[in-house]
Amino acid sequence: MNNQEKYDISFTEAFSIDKKKLEKNLEYNSIDEWDSIGHMTLVAELEKNFKISIETDDVIDLSSYQKGKSILKKYKIIV
Amino acid sequence: MPIASSLLKKPRLVQKLRDFHSYVMKNNGQVGTKTRGIDLNFNNACNLRCKYCFTNSPKGDHVKEYLDLGAIKKLADDADELGYFEFDLQGGELLLQPDKLFSVLEAIKPERFYLYLTTNGYHLDEKMAKKLAEYKVSRVSVSIDSMDEKIHDEIRGKKDSWRRAIEGLEHVKNAGMDPYLNITVGHYNANTDHFKQLLDYSKNKKYKTLLNVAVPSGMWQKMTDIICDDKDREYLRKIRKEYKNLVRNIWNPFDKNNEKILGCTTVNRLYITPIGDVLVCPYVHIKIGNIFKNSLKEIVDYGFSIKYFRNHSDLCLAGEDKSFIKNFMTKTGQTIFKPAEAKDIFKKEDFV
Repeated sequence: MNNQEKYDISFTEAFSIDKKKLEKNLEYNSIDEWDSIGHMTLVAELEKNFKISIETDDVIDLSSYQKGKSILKKYKIIV
Repeated sequence: MPIASSLLKKPRLVQKLRDFHSYVMKNNGQVGTKTRGIDLNFNNACNLRCKYCFTNSPKGDHVKEYLDLGAIKKLADDADELGYFEFDLQGGELLLQPDKLFSVLEAIKPERFYLYLTTNGYHLDEKMAKKLAEYKVSRVSVSIDSMDEKIHDEIRGKKDSWRRAIEGLEHVKNAGMDPYLNITVGHYNANTDHFKQLLDYSKNKKYKTLLNVAVPSGMWQKMTDIICDDKDREYLRKIRKEYKNLVRNIWNPFDKNNEKILGCTTVNRLYITPIGDVLVCPYVHIKIGNIFKNSLKEIVDYGFSIKYFRNHSDLCLAGEDKSFIKNFMTKTGQTIFKPAEAKDIFKKEDFV
């Protein structure tokens, strides 16, 4: 599985949504599933799939599907 | 999109919620002895006369006492240090005295918590909702008993209660906070059209629905016929999967399949009264300490030394465990202001 696939599956698994919903404007609270609880699940999925530990500041910054990609660069992961 | 009340603007909350998530995942999806929430009733006065009030406010019980701001500030500081991440302000009715409420919010420092109010919604107008959001309140829970206005008003003891509550929820949503429609469900209304209408309304409005099972305490003490039976519980399990927006404190909120049980959250969630007594839960009127006499840590440790509160229970002790209810919730006159003392009601073998 490449990084893009791992990234997408982190979202679809965390929120139990279809891949079609992974649009550029997907962001925190833009769908019912991405609430505070969903956010924790998303972070856990990303950590599991990429074998990283995300710092709290980055957990807070992870506010959108697009933003997440730039955050992962800090962990040397290119999506 | 929610504003100042948003999770992403509360770094301390994010840290604590992560810790909670991590603990639950490692503990087989169960809450164990992890700290979760503080339910604070700092004053018991209310403008309604609800038939099933668990604080006995309609009887005027301790309506003039206020927990002082210094004590509230210390409670919040200690709770934060112990990892409590939810802070639920309850009453009585909080919106009766807004000046006091906003002073309390300042003392608590909501930026550290997922802070929410539980209200009857009577005074929850647009202006109030906006101000609550500015004060970093994350959520407002409004209790609704029926989609039939007359039935709700009759239960609540005041005309116009329903309309104001329904409109209040919409103001919460428009102000950017999480709106929760609270429903008390018991054997008398589970799997009825009335109940379903409430569920459908909340779902269609994109609210969350908090289900509180009816408990035989307060005005309903010893009324065991209200308790959900096995069929009712099976129905609740079914609709949890069907609606997906239902919340119960006993359910694991991280389970995407909407099946797993976190466990009864006695002591994980503490209830503090206006006189500083600490009860194991809003509905189990058993006292494990007082914040003026014991540190919060001492109280929590003592609470978890009692096996009923330490060990996992798939059932809500107050609303579903008939044996627990019979043995520990039927002392005559047992209320939030006259709770049973844990040291008196439990035997030596009940302690770990």
